[in-house]
Amino acid sequence: MSKVETLATLSEVTATYNDAPALHKVDLDLPEGKIIAFCGPNGSGKSTALRVLRGLHSPVQGAVSVAGRHVSEWNPRDLAREVAMLSQSPQAPEDMTVYDLALLGRYSHRGRFAALTDTDRNAVDRALAATNMTGIATRTLGQLSGGQIQRAWIAMVLAQEAPHIFLDEPTNHLDIAHALDILDLVTRLNRENGHGFVIVLHDLNLAMRYADHVVLFDDGRIAGEGPTQDVLREEAIRTVFEIDCRIITLPDIDRPVIVPLKRCELSAICAAE
Amino acid sequence: MDGVIVWTLRLPRVVLAVLAGMALALAGALMQRALRNPLAVPSILGVSDGAALGVVTFLWLFSNESNALTVSVHWLPVAAILGACGLAALIAILALQDPRPNDPLRLILYGVAMSALAKAAVTLMMIIGPVYRAGQALRWLTGSVNAAHWSDVAVVGGGLFIAVPVLIMARLPLNQITLDAASAQSTGLAVNRSRVALLILSVLLTALAVSQVGAIGFVGLIAPQAARLYYGQFTLGYLVVTALIGGLLVLTADTVARMILYPLELPAGALTALLGAPLFLTLLTRRQNVQS
Repeated sequence: MSKVETLATLSEVTATYNDAPALHKVDLDLPEGKIIAFCGPNGSGKSTALRVLRGLHSPVQGAVSVAGRHVSEWNPRDLAREVAMLSQSPQAPEDMTVYDLALLGRYSHRGRFAALTDTDRNAVDRALAATNMTGIATRTLGQLSGGQIQRAWIAMVLAQEAPHIFLDEPTNHLDIAHALDILDLVTRLNRENGHGFVIVLHDLNLAMRYADHVVLFDDGRIAGEGPTQDVLREEAIRTVFEIDCRIITLPDIDRPVIVPLKRCELSAICAAE
Repeated sequence: MDGVIVWTLRLPRVVLAVLAGMALALAGALMQRALRNPLAVPSILGVSDGAALGVVTFLWLFSNESNALTVSVHWLPVAAILGACGLAALIAILALQDPRPNDPLRLILYGVAMSALAKAAVTLMMIIGPVYRAGQALRWLTGSVNAAHWSDVAVVGGGLFIAVPVLIMARLPLNQITLDAASAQSTGLAVNRSRVALLILSVLLTALAVSQVGAIGFVGLIAPQAARLYYGQFTLGYLVVTALIGGLLVLTADTVARMILYPLELPAGALTALLGAPLFLTLLTRRQNVQS
């Protein structure tokens, strides 16, 4: 109990994105085994932070370690077995079937010459079942709706069976019912199988409801980090998002809800600071 | 006597046409994969013209007055490889410094520009060089399989012989690389390494084929597209079908080119271009990837 397990660490990380500064000397320790949400306004650096953590984007400065090793020491295959990631706008050919896409998630487990094993097939079947895609597994991506495509990608990420999963805005393109489905699935995988998640979430109420831990980004810096309800507070939201809001508790649900009221006046921000 | 004619004149020409078609088709399929762009094939990006430039430069530098080579003709594929690699390197440099690297058409435009440059250089060399060299060099402008020997067959066959085991080993990466770079990398593919390896193999196959049959264009565009349409593109069979279609295409083009205006022989490349150019325009107006 004395040792706090760490999933990933950023130390003094500075990064740019398309030549614009995206992260500025960020220090961050992410705890293992939790559902962690990255929140913040557009362009605050949350997506860049996730890409840097997964080794998809090289920082200008600073050290990054993930799953116990410096990120540059991992070879791609071994890292893929530890950390899966769904990026923000993934692309695949439109004539690829849902099943074949999910199968691509098995890449890091498959030998160069080995045929498909039962383990691979079972992992794909489980992933398709979990995302409710079994019935349309033989359809091509070109035949799917936006929400179905997003679930096909999530199936691919699940088929990878990595203990840690990074999701960059997984509820994009999903209606509220499917968004809740995905986040319920995330919760189940976390509570039952111990998967650790880091999720970029735009919707503060979804973060409030599903995340154990929140990192709040503001203009390339970290404005707050810790257990969800300690971070998502009215003052913090006012400073970071420049909106007035109320956080209220409803009688029959365990997490409070955030009610955005209006964009706050500049003077109000100044007053809050 | 008939046997000799078939064995020394007809058969090498047929086998060379098939093997060169296979090499050009595979080169096209690999380059499309590596660059995730169905338009990005060696003849569109000008890699074939780079190889042709290498060949013409070689003829220009190493021919004497009596139209004979002063060095062994076995160096000719090397010259083609150097030309193709040089041109591919130029396009790579242009593409890497591109301010908008995600626009697939910009790469094509760089290719078109480089291809025009290589063609201009070839034409210039033919005009300023003595007439006897022009005749030799003309063969590489549009491509033609006439005058084939078994040694020519061996060069292209050798290239394919190297390519086959590499492609069997790369069958999983070849599918993985159809994903965007971030997704491919997240699932465990060493994206840059795979991409470079596939491009090198593609450039090599192109150069070897062009060094023997000239710059027969559009085979790398037509064959993979036809295979994808009628067979599917996510198993190793796709490459087999692509190669077969490519072989058949060049053989047909060469045969038709020889017979249609007999005794005049058209270049085979003129016929493949007739088929390839409309397909290029069709692909240009079509959406290829789904984005979530």
